[in-house]
Amino acid sequence: MNLLHIIKEGIQDTCYIWKSELNLIFKDSGVMIFFFLVPFAYPVLYGLIYNNEVVREAQLVVVDHCDTQSSREFIRRINGTPDVDVVYYANNMDEAKDRLDRKEAYGILEIPSNFSSDIHTGKRTTVSLYSDMSCLLYYKNYLIAATEASFDFGKEMVQSLHPSTTREEGKIAVNPIPYESVAMFNPANGFGSFILPAILILVIQQTLILGICMLGGTAREKNRFHTLVPISKHYHGTLRIVLGKSLAYIILYILTCCWVLIIVPALFDLPQHVDIGTLGLFVLPYLFACIFFSITLSGFVISREAPMLLFVFTSVILLFISGVSWPMHSINGFWRILAYAFPSTAGVQGFVAINSMGATLNEVAFEYHVLWIQTGVYFITACLVYRYQIIRSRKLLLKGSELMKQK
Amino acid sequence: MQQSSKNRIWNIAKREMRQLSARPIYLFSMVFAPLFSALFFITLMDEGLPTELPIAVVDLDNSSTSRGLIRQLDAFGQTAVTVRTASFEEARKEMQSGSIYGIYRIPKDFATLAAQGKQPKLSFYTNNASLIAGSLLFRDMKTISVLAGGSVGLQVGLAKGQTESQIMGQLQPISIDTVTLGNPWLNYSVYLNNIIIPGILQLMIFLVTVFSIGNEIKLGTSRDWLQQSGNSLLKALLGKLLPHTVIFTTVGLSITYILYGVSSFPLQSGWLPMVAAMVLLVLAAQAMGVFMIGVLPTLRLGLSFASLFGMVAFSITGFTFPVKAMYPPLQALSELFPLRHYFLIYVDQALNGRALYYTWTEYVILASFMLLPLFVGRNLKRALLYFNYIP
Repeated sequence: MNLLHIIKEGIQDTCYIWKSELNLIFKDSGVMIFFFLVPFAYPVLYGLIYNNEVVREAQLVVVDHCDTQSSREFIRRINGTPDVDVVYYANNMDEAKDRLDRKEAYGILEIPSNFSSDIHTGKRTTVSLYSDMSCLLYYKNYLIAATEASFDFGKEMVQSLHPSTTREEGKIAVNPIPYESVAMFNPANGFGSFILPAILILVIQQTLILGICMLGGTAREKNRFHTLVPISKHYHGTLRIVLGKSLAYIILYILTCCWVLIIVPALFDLPQHVDIGTLGLFVLPYLFACIFFSITLSGFVISREAPMLLFVFTSVILLFISGVSWPMHSINGFWRILAYAFPSTAGVQGFVAINSMGATLNEVAFEYHVLWIQTGVYFITACLVYRYQIIRSRKLLLKGSELMKQK
Repeated sequence: MQQSSKNRIWNIAKREMRQLSARPIYLFSMVFAPLFSALFFITLMDEGLPTELPIAVVDLDNSSTSRGLIRQLDAFGQTAVTVRTASFEEARKEMQSGSIYGIYRIPKDFATLAAQGKQPKLSFYTNNASLIAGSLLFRDMKTISVLAGGSVGLQVGLAKGQTESQIMGQLQPISIDTVTLGNPWLNYSVYLNNIIIPGILQLMIFLVTVFSIGNEIKLGTSRDWLQQSGNSLLKALLGKLLPHTVIFTTVGLSITYILYGVSSFPLQSGWLPMVAAMVLLVLAAQAMGVFMIGVLPTLRLGLSFASLFGMVAFSITGFTFPVKAMYPPLQALSELFPLRHYFLIYVDQALNGRALYYTWTEYVILASFMLLPLFVGRNLKRALLYFNYIP
């Protein structure tokens, strides 16, 4: 046998395995759920859950001990913001707390009796804001609304106290150093814009793991001797098997990625400063890394349905370890090392930078390299898994035929 | 010989314990997965808040005033000035590469202009693609900007012969004193882990319940199982799930202990209301699991249903994004998740220490999840008797 012949046979076998893997996928409705239904439906479901992006009109109870024109005007200002809705005026704190107990509101604004007199004599006055902490977003709304209203209203009151000074001077006295803040890459400060990109990337990895492991588990249950590889002349080379199978997955997932990473963000108006070329170049090693990683894992799964028990819960952990919700900077030690064992970590970091922040491959060079290194490492482990399986099935076959002879 | 019901249930429970110990996947998903997750989330967030988040400073003034300002900013707990760049563009690139989460910009001639009363403007930028980091840095950078205004205002005012209280009345006529009820440190670990960890337990209960019943159909042992119970589905389920209940309750209460004992999270209500909530969460989730495999008595479909439901629970429970801000149909859907009711109990009891009067309905709802299997009993029994495993 010459080299040319081996290469030719290798390519033929690879194509054969590729074809039969595609066949297996399309015949298996369980795998189809993971490869098609989940990646198509899940992002839409999450998009709908977070579609409102921000909380509007958080219910607030007011206790106005002052009850003068200026205190009422101050409340009116707060009520006028889109963040807060004053739903009830309570006579005292007990009554207000009762409203919170009944979940009719999530915060209380208490205005002191000396509010008006303080303001009119140029003294600083303090209002109290109580917030239920069951949901951080309510607290944020109250704080933003109260801060804005107190700043604007306070400024006007001070200016009206000093009518003698010119308008310019008055402004300087009240506000000697103005400041501006810019929320970059997520101008609406939306919850969906922040969490969805990470979920999208994660869906790709997790469905690949679940689908490929299910295929592996099924092969184990069906094949003679319960090994991953069937007894067939086409399945006797490690490289052929790993490449043939990967080819099948990657072709399906290029389609999936277009839907999950390009169409879904557009559908839900997520920040999208993406350059398709950059994204394509970045997603390629991500897919390779995910596929080889999944093939490696599939070597350890012996039953068809077990992957769901083993891997579904890791999605929650992987989401947090990917550094989107809890900043990567604050993930240290062992968890950081664990984080970079999974393609999703670099995938999420890179995708958020490219998609939401308009980064180019230069800015995500670190993540890009990590993904290629993972591709290499997991390619080797995937090959080892199949090498071992081929040797094992041969041994078992030999043993089996010897037993037959003895009989 | 007629066996007593108690005997039958006990025998099925013993049979189940043999099955549980025969496959390591049960140990993994019933004990290891929830406890490992608890360990993970508690240690990941053990600081409560991310600290020393890196920012870049663009100091175009470079005076002693601006340097003092930067030193003060760096001294805040959440902020660490790690990069100084000459231009905003450079800082922006740093942000895109993920090495910083915020940029603080001090304009040219800041100190001189401020002393002349010419209102130089400070600017700060937060990376809100990372919401937690962005909002924490916003707080620190805003505070330092207000302080800068205050100190300049104080100098100018004192020069004019005003008193300090007059000046403060001018600079900040209305100050806001915030009281964050139950969680005064704004601790993220408290805020997230109280629900995420029980959520993982709920997910594993769904999966394991579906898996263990579905496997009877897959392996063709379901008829034998029913026979042992004298053909009573109720006894069959009771016997099979009893060992699960014991294990999951033990794991669940360990989680309760980890949250309120080891980590000392707020527990205004005392232990009993949360212990009761955890026990009911376990039972409700088991019942939900029976319901899932009853509706879809194919192992893989049942498990897919369990995975979907268990994962969506983390979003639809509303502990990060409130349910009231979701679409009305989703609001209604959230009622079907045991974790949602557990969350409402937690907010009332552990976090706020409210009277049971406000919460008892949630306990009743959680308990009533146990009625769910009744709706699928016939379907499930038929599946156990006549279904063949479809891969």
